[in-house]
Amino acid sequence: MFVALITGLATGALYAAAALTYNVMYSTSKVLSVTTGHISMLGGIFGAWFISTLGWPIPIALLGSMVVGAAFGLLTDLIAIRRVLARSDEHLWLLSTLALATMVQQAAGLWWGTEPKPFPRLIPQDFSAGLGDQKYWLPIAIAILLAVALEVFYRRTLYGKLFVAMSEDAFAARARGIPTGRIRSMSYVMAGAMGGLAGFAAGQLTFAYFALGLTLTLNGFIALAVGGLGSNLGALVGGAALGILSAVATYFVGGEYQQTISVGLLMIVLLLKPAGLFGSQSVRPV
Amino acid sequence: MKLSNRSMAILIVMAALIALPWWAGDLYKLHLAALICAYWVLIGGLNLVVGYSGQLSIGHVGLLAIGAYCFAILAGTHGVHPGLAIAASGALCALCGLLLGLPSLRLPGFYFAMATLAFALIVTEITLAQGNLTGGGVGLSVPGFPPPFDTPRGTYWLILAIAALVTWLTWNVARHTWGRGLVAVRDSAVTAQAVGVPVFRAKLTVFVFSGFTAGIAGALFAVLQSYITPDTFVFELGLFFFVCIIIGGRGHILGPAIGTIVLTALPEMVAPLAKLGNFFYGLLLLAVVLLVPEGIGRVFELLVERFRPRRSESHVVKPDLERLAKAIQAGKSR
Amino acid sequence: MTLAARDITKRFGGLTALSQVSLELKPGEVHGLIGPNGSGKTTLLNLLSGYYRPDGGKIAIDETDISSATVQRRANLGIARTFQKPRLLPTLSVLDNAMLGGWRDARAGFLATAFSLPQVKADERELRSRAGELLHGVGLSHAIGRRANLLEHAEQRFLEIARGLAQRPRFILLDEPAGGLTAAEIEHLGAVIRVMRESGVGVLLVEHHTDFVFRISDRVTTLDVGSVIKHGTPDEVRRDPEVIRVYLGA
Repeated sequence: MFVALITGLATGALYAAAALTYNVMYSTSKVLSVTTGHISMLGGIFGAWFISTLGWPIPIALLGSMVVGAAFGLLTDLIAIRRVLARSDEHLWLLSTLALATMVQQAAGLWWGTEPKPFPRLIPQDFSAGLGDQKYWLPIAIAILLAVALEVFYRRTLYGKLFVAMSEDAFAARARGIPTGRIRSMSYVMAGAMGGLAGFAAGQLTFAYFALGLTLTLNGFIALAVGGLGSNLGALVGGAALGILSAVATYFVGGEYQQTISVGLLMIVLLLKPAGLFGSQSVRPV
Repeated sequence: MKLSNRSMAILIVMAALIALPWWAGDLYKLHLAALICAYWVLIGGLNLVVGYSGQLSIGHVGLLAIGAYCFAILAGTHGVHPGLAIAASGALCALCGLLLGLPSLRLPGFYFAMATLAFALIVTEITLAQGNLTGGGVGLSVPGFPPPFDTPRGTYWLILAIAALVTWLTWNVARHTWGRGLVAVRDSAVTAQAVGVPVFRAKLTVFVFSGFTAGIAGALFAVLQSYITPDTFVFELGLFFFVCIIIGGRGHILGPAIGTIVLTALPEMVAPLAKLGNFFYGLLLLAVVLLVPEGIGRVFELLVERFRPRRSESHVVKPDLERLAKAIQAGKSR
Repeated sequence: MTLAARDITKRFGGLTALSQVSLELKPGEVHGLIGPNGSGKTTLLNLLSGYYRPDGGKIAIDETDISSATVQRRANLGIARTFQKPRLLPTLSVLDNAMLGGWRDARAGFLATAFSLPQVKADERELRSRAGELLHGVGLSHAIGRRANLLEHAEQRFLEIARGLAQRPRFILLDEPAGGLTAAEIEHLGAVIRVMRESGVGVLLVEHHTDFVFRISDRVTTLDVGSVIKHGTPDEVRRDPEVIRVYLGA
């Protein structure tokens, strides 16, 4: 039972990290990018490649994963967001990010292979650590760290305040001379680095696997919608709820119906509280 | 009787398609043609959802899978007549479409797309879990059609006939009041409401219809595959259907049809593309979204407009008040 | 037959957009609705056509309360409208855009349409001729086959009116129809509105061109910060000191 629970929590933490990544990109662009999960997938694959194949020291590899994530975030903004936001059609960004996500996933599959490959140990620890194993605690610690860091960033730093201003009213922000295009690129780079970090930290849990992206895009979104779009606390709670629920379900029903159950949770929350648990915005503007 | 150019073109294309078994060359090409037709049965219905009402469903592969398994279980395991089994596949998937559409079609675009993606993954999960019904990961073998449709030619003709029927049905919907209502739902829900289109009900109706055709397509597809496993219905297949429509152009029928033919046949003809697979589809989709968001179909339209003799276009509004009064009066007395 | 708003109050969060506003629209009259920006004109129009629900008061056709009826339902009851920024279907032809207005008369269901039953064809013929006549009538005969995204601004405005009339409305609500039109086009618009009035349609005219409104309306209502400050004939309203103070200027 405890193993199921801690596995669930760790997986939930990864979903929460994906939900946070969604939030950062959403705040400046009002776009929910399909590439969100694929950022972490890249973080995991490149982390494994840096350490196992290239033999980089772990801190450098961690940095490398974040750089890869950040670069992909920037690429998402440049290719899939910038040109599309200039047009008014609200569906186009869904198509462009979906296209980019598909390309990245397939490219990763061709290069890395379609089999999941193990992710190296990051901290010297015996494999008999059981519940105390790093593969559980790392993602949980990183998700909490990311949420706290984001709150500090939004409240204490100038750029954070610019993000908030843009998220509340992009038009007014532009009118006041805020370089909205640059801020948006920054937010995508930041989201990329966060996603890369999360994928790296959760590598031992998920393995370095090319198809992780799509599952993470979906489940991160469920965590986000359950917690409430735009809320970082909501992202954590939504991820945790999703993780615990699927752990309990796995324990009692078996592991075959994970996705069915998480979607069930989403539907129930959306029916009872369309804006999510901690959401302030209505669901409509999306 | 004098035929219009359009009717002539349709007759010629139909004749060529019916005669395909004689000029296709080998059985593999005939199989490919049948596969394209089976895909089109799904994509044609999906086109009303994605291309006309603008609901971005990326998970129709889930419905395809349900249709395929329904046919395989009924016709294979239980020995039901294949004709009946096909109808049952369609009905079951129409029901699934209703159940999926009821909660999700009220949601905004991205939520809806994610709901259909989740649906596809759930279907895979259930087919794996319900091993004694679906054969689990091992899969099921699928019986063929009864005579006279049991030969490759017969199978092809049957599927072609169904594809032609679906094309005719969707064409009828598209060119009448329903089609205009759906386009209004896509381009301006506010306008749709203002003229009295019941937005949610219209979306749900075409979604259920697309479920029905997806179920039929699933049965046809299963016969062509002759053996199905959960791996037959990967999510990327659903993406492929979706991409065919977007590339062909929203709000058209011919564009997506050509999209289906080209995107199915191209990887089979050009080996390197097969290896790139979804990367190629993703790249195409990205290029279309960035360069011609209205789809390749629009490019042809623009070319045609280019070569048409251009009249000097007037923009002067000159009301004809007597005619207007008569027209309004005619409406009153109706 | 009267479309009426009775003591309507509408709040957005803490802001009261309309307070205790009443307005009546009868068939065969042109009712002008004027007021400064933000006085609540468009809000009232959205309440009448059903995009908003009132927080107080009611909206009725004669004695039938339609305050909670959906936009679609009100369209079917004969309320048509146009938009401040024309909302057309850019990829469809001008004729198709006008025919969209006939949705409520196309009785055929989805399946009947899919099988193209005779009823569908008959509906289609009737709609096509109706929409065609209306397009000729409002002055768009030159553009019937054109894609709507190729229209110029004035043409879009007249097409919206044709679409509204294709709904065979008892009442039509026009949201700033003269916005962006030239003087000559405004004259055409005035002529079209007069024809609608003479044909027994009730026209609610929300407009900034006060000269135009006073010239063409039978009655005028003036709003300021969400309340009616004057209601009466154009002459009465034009001379009202309060109206002059807040809106017309000295």
